[in-house]
Amino acid sequence: MSCGHTTPLPISLPSSSPTRRPRWHEGQTRRSGDPYLTHCLAVARIVADVGMPPTVVCAALLHDVIEDTLCPPGRLAGQFGLTVAQLVADVSTVDLRAIPPDAAPRSAQPPHSEAVLVIRLADRLHNMRTIEFVAAAKQYGKARETIEVFAPMARAAGLADVSRELHNLSAAVLQSAPTAYAVTTRLLALLTLLLPGTQRARWRQEWQAELAALPTRRTCACFTLRVLLSTPHLSLTLRRPVCQEPRR
Amino acid sequence: MGSPRMTLQTQLVLRALLEEPAKQRYGLELCALAGLPSGTIYPILARLEQAGWTESTWEDPAVHEEAGRPRRRFYRITEDGAERARLALARAYRARKKPLPGWAAAHPVGDGEVS
Repeated sequence: MSCGHTTPLPISLPSSSPTRRPRWHEGQTRRSGDPYLTHCLAVARIVADVGMPPTVVCAALLHDVIEDTLCPPGRLAGQFGLTVAQLVADVSTVDLRAIPPDAAPRSAQPPHSEAVLVIRLADRLHNMRTIEFVAAAKQYGKARETIEVFAPMARAAGLADVSRELHNLSAAVLQSAPTAYAVTTRLLALLTLLLPGTQRARWRQEWQAELAALPTRRTCACFTLRVLLSTPHLSLTLRRPVCQEPRR
Repeated sequence: MGSPRMTLQTQLVLRALLEEPAKQRYGLELCALAGLPSGTIYPILARLEQAGWTESTWEDPAVHEEAGRPRRRFYRITEDGAERARLALARAYRARKKPLPGWAAAHPVGDGEVS
């Protein structure tokens, strides 16, 4: 893995793994603009920090390779072994709610399902740490799912720190995002009251669709402010006929 | 039907619409193409539509439902609008006696107003 963004992991991995990992994610970026690899490394670090063995950390590094790249699953098994390949495959496909949480102390070789669960939780934890880059309209749904499903699963699996962080990150979004998003939406809806009655629904819907396409709370706020400043002009435009151009 | 005032911003929007006249574009997309800040374009779009230079329609429900987002309002320049816009842009160009400043809208608003 030859990339300038690598950070040493706090464990030594099997010789077959990350240093020779092909560049399947090359060219992919996160919503933040960071190389996609930074997410893989962060997830692997979380998995290592909760005491998972090197095979699980290796699978965490590779957790999106099958789902998000053209890497053939067989190649993963050939290069990293069946255990890692199976973990990566299951992380992408297994329904988290179907995994029985096991609060037993970490063993040297955790059961397969526990390893899958830990990688999924670590994946969500890093996604929540970087939630600010997700579109404002989607942040709320992600935070709800995290606080209702992921945080309790982490707690039940004995990962108290992960559970706490998931809970806190989600709670912060749920406390502020709905307010920010709802206030923006409500403000835009209020602005339409300045427009002729027959036009209000159209502009409200149009602005809501534009708002949903904006990536961050800041861009949403700038958009709303500019709409606010231009609405009186829009109102006048809609209420009077087009200015006649002088004949030439 | 009258003609909209050819402010500098209107000219930039028209140029964006004329780039691919058959293509439907939504407001934010046009803002980006015209180099205008998001949220500032709606009075211009409304005026152009009133004058019959553009037409707007809602996005196909199948597309926005599939994408999981609210439906967008799409704008397209009409055939008549395209013709009139080209003439108006040429007139504005001649009146200014210098080229438009490009897409960046670096000049202050109103700088290029021609009635």
